[in-house]
Amino acid sequence: MSNPLLIVWRKELRDALRDKRSVMAAMSYAFFGPLLMAVAFFVLISQLTDESDVGINIEGAEHAPAFIAHLQRQGIVEREKPWPDGQQPIVLAISENWAENIAKAKPIEVTLTADFSAQKQRTDINRVERAVQSYSNQLTYIRLQMRGIDPGIMNAIDLVKHDTATKGSRAALLMGSVLVFMLLSVFFSGMNVAIDISAGERERNSLELLLSQPLTAQQLVWGKALAASCFAIFGGILSVVLIPFIFSFLPLHNIGISIALGWQSILLIIALLFPLALFATALQLFVSFRAKSFKEAQTYISFLLMLPMLAVFGVEFSRVKHQALYYLPITGQHQALLDIIKGEALQWLPMALSAVATFALSALLLMLIGRMLRSEKVVFGL
Amino acid sequence: MIEVKQLQKAFGNVNALNGLSFSAPEGEITGLLGPNGAGKTTCLRTIYGLLQADSGEALIDGIDAKVAPLEARKRIGIFPDKFGLYERLTAREQIAYFAALHGMQGAKQAEAVAHVIERLDMTAIADRRATGFSQGQRMKVALAQAIVHQPKHLILDEPSRGLDVMSTRILRDLLRELRQQGTSILFSSHVMQEVAALCDKVVVIAAGKVAAQGTTQELCELTGESALEEAFVKIIGTDEGIAA
Repeated sequence: MSNPLLIVWRKELRDALRDKRSVMAAMSYAFFGPLLMAVAFFVLISQLTDESDVGINIEGAEHAPAFIAHLQRQGIVEREKPWPDGQQPIVLAISENWAENIAKAKPIEVTLTADFSAQKQRTDINRVERAVQSYSNQLTYIRLQMRGIDPGIMNAIDLVKHDTATKGSRAALLMGSVLVFMLLSVFFSGMNVAIDISAGERERNSLELLLSQPLTAQQLVWGKALAASCFAIFGGILSVVLIPFIFSFLPLHNIGISIALGWQSILLIIALLFPLALFATALQLFVSFRAKSFKEAQTYISFLLMLPMLAVFGVEFSRVKHQALYYLPITGQHQALLDIIKGEALQWLPMALSAVATFALSALLLMLIGRMLRSEKVVFGL
Repeated sequence: MIEVKQLQKAFGNVNALNGLSFSAPEGEITGLLGPNGAGKTTCLRTIYGLLQADSGEALIDGIDAKVAPLEARKRIGIFPDKFGLYERLTAREQIAYFAALHGMQGAKQAEAVAHVIERLDMTAIADRRATGFSQGQRMKVALAQAIVHQPKHLILDEPSRGLDVMSTRILRDLLRELRQQGTSILFSSHVMQEVAALCDKVVVIAAGKVAAQGTTQELCELTGESALEEAFVKIIGTDEGIAA
C-alpha cells in the first residue's frame, strides 16, 4: 500500500462505494436498460406472432359463400367491433357477378381498400392478400385439372428458398441494439464517480490540498481513473451477465431467434469491456477536471455521452463496413461484440489491436490530465 | 527552515509577488501579515510548488519545490486556505489518507493517526463521517491532516478564520507545542491580534514585497508606535484590508 496510486485508488473507491447515488447510478443503468429493452421486444414479438383472427369489412359476402368460408379458415372474418380511432378500415369488396364469372372462368374483380402505408395494419393486409391469392390459386388448379392439363405447368420456375441465416445471425439484427446497451453501460456506470472525484473535488475545495501532497499528478490521476473504472466495468459486467439472463425469458424462438451466449463468449465480452471502461473514465475525467462544479461537469459529460452513442448507432444504422472500424476504440469493441453474438469467426488480431489502441489512448488522455493538473491556470482557474 | 528568496510572480499585468524575501527558521513561529491581496496565499502556494515563480526561489531545507516538488512536500504539513473534507469519510479515515500519502503504513500509520486524534481532543468525532461537522470540528480534521506525519515545517494559510474561541485556543496551544519541538511554522494572517499573540517574528507584506520584518517589539520600535496595529498601519501606509 505504499504506492500513492493505490492509496488514492483505495480511498476513492471507498468514498464512492459509500455514495448511494453513485452506486445506484452504476446499477440502475445496467439493470433497467436491458429490462426496458426486454419489455419492448416482448411487445414486438407478440405483435409479430399474433395469430388471432383478422377482422375486416367484407362487402358482397352473400355473392361468394365458398370464398368467405375459405377466408374464415385462414382467420379472416367479418369485423364486429368498430375500427379504433386513427385506423383506416380494411375493406374487401366482392363484385356481384362472382357466380357468373366463376361459371365462365373469367377473372373476378375483388377490391381491397386499405391504408397500405399503415405500419400497424401491415401484417393484417398481408394476410388478407395471401388468403385471396391462395383461393385464386386453388381455383386455377381446379380449372386446369378439369381441362386435363397438368397444373404443374403453371410453375415455370420453382423458387426454392434456402434461408442461410443461422439463428445467431438473425438474432444479431435484434442484438445489435442490445449490444449498444452493453457498450454504453460502461460509459454510464462510472460517470457519477468520475464527476465526483474530479469536479467534485474542486467544488469541495479539496483539490488544492491534494495536489500539495507528495505524490505526482500522474499517480493522482491514475488512482482516480482506476477507481472510476472499477464502477464502469462493474456496470459493464452487470449488463453483460444480465442481458442474456433477461432475454432468456423472452419467447424469442417464436420468431426464429435464439440468443445463447456461452460463458466463454461472456468472458470474452467482459475482457473487451475492460480497456473501454478505462477509456470512458479517461474521457469523462478529461472533461470534468476542467469543470468548476459538479453541475458544470454534468453538462459537459452529457454532451460527451453522445460520442459513443453516435459511434455505435452511426455504424449500426448506416451499415458501414470498413476494416478500420475493427481497430478504433469503441467501434472496435462494437464490431467484435457483433461478431461474437453472430457466432462468426473472430478476428483476434484486430480485437487485440483495438484493445491496445483503446488503452493507449486512455493512457494518453490521463497523461494530459496529469499535465493539466500541474498547470496553475487549470487548478486555480486563473 | 523555509527560505524565500527574491520571489517574482505576475498574473497577467498584476505583480502578485514583487521580489519577496524572508525566512522562517526552526523552532520559531513566523507570521506573514498583510492586507487582503498582498500576495500571502500566492507566496505560500509557491512554497509548496503549486505555483511557479517567474523568478527567485522558495526553499524548504534547501530544496526548491520547483525542482523537486515531491521531496519538498514530504517535509511540510499544509493547512490550506480552503479546506474541504470528504463528507463520506470519517475523521480518522481522512487523517489516515493523508498519513498514507506521506508514506506512513500499517501500525505506524494507525499509531500516528490515533496520537493526533488524541492530541487534538477529537476522539468523540474520530469515527463519525464528516457530514454535519461544525466549522471547529472541520478545522481540527484539517489540522490533524497537516500534522499527522510530524512534518518539520508547518504552513498555515489564514488558520483562525471562522473559528470560535475554543478552537482558536486549541490551535494556538498546538502551534506553541510544535514550536517547542523545533518545527518551523509559517502562517499567514490578516488578523493583528493573532499575529501579536503568537509570532516570534512578523513579516509584513504589502504589494508583493516585504514592507518590514522583526519581532512585534522591533516593529513597534521601528515605527515609534506602542501598539502593533499602529505600527502596521504606518508600515503599509494604509489601514485598508486589515482586521484588528
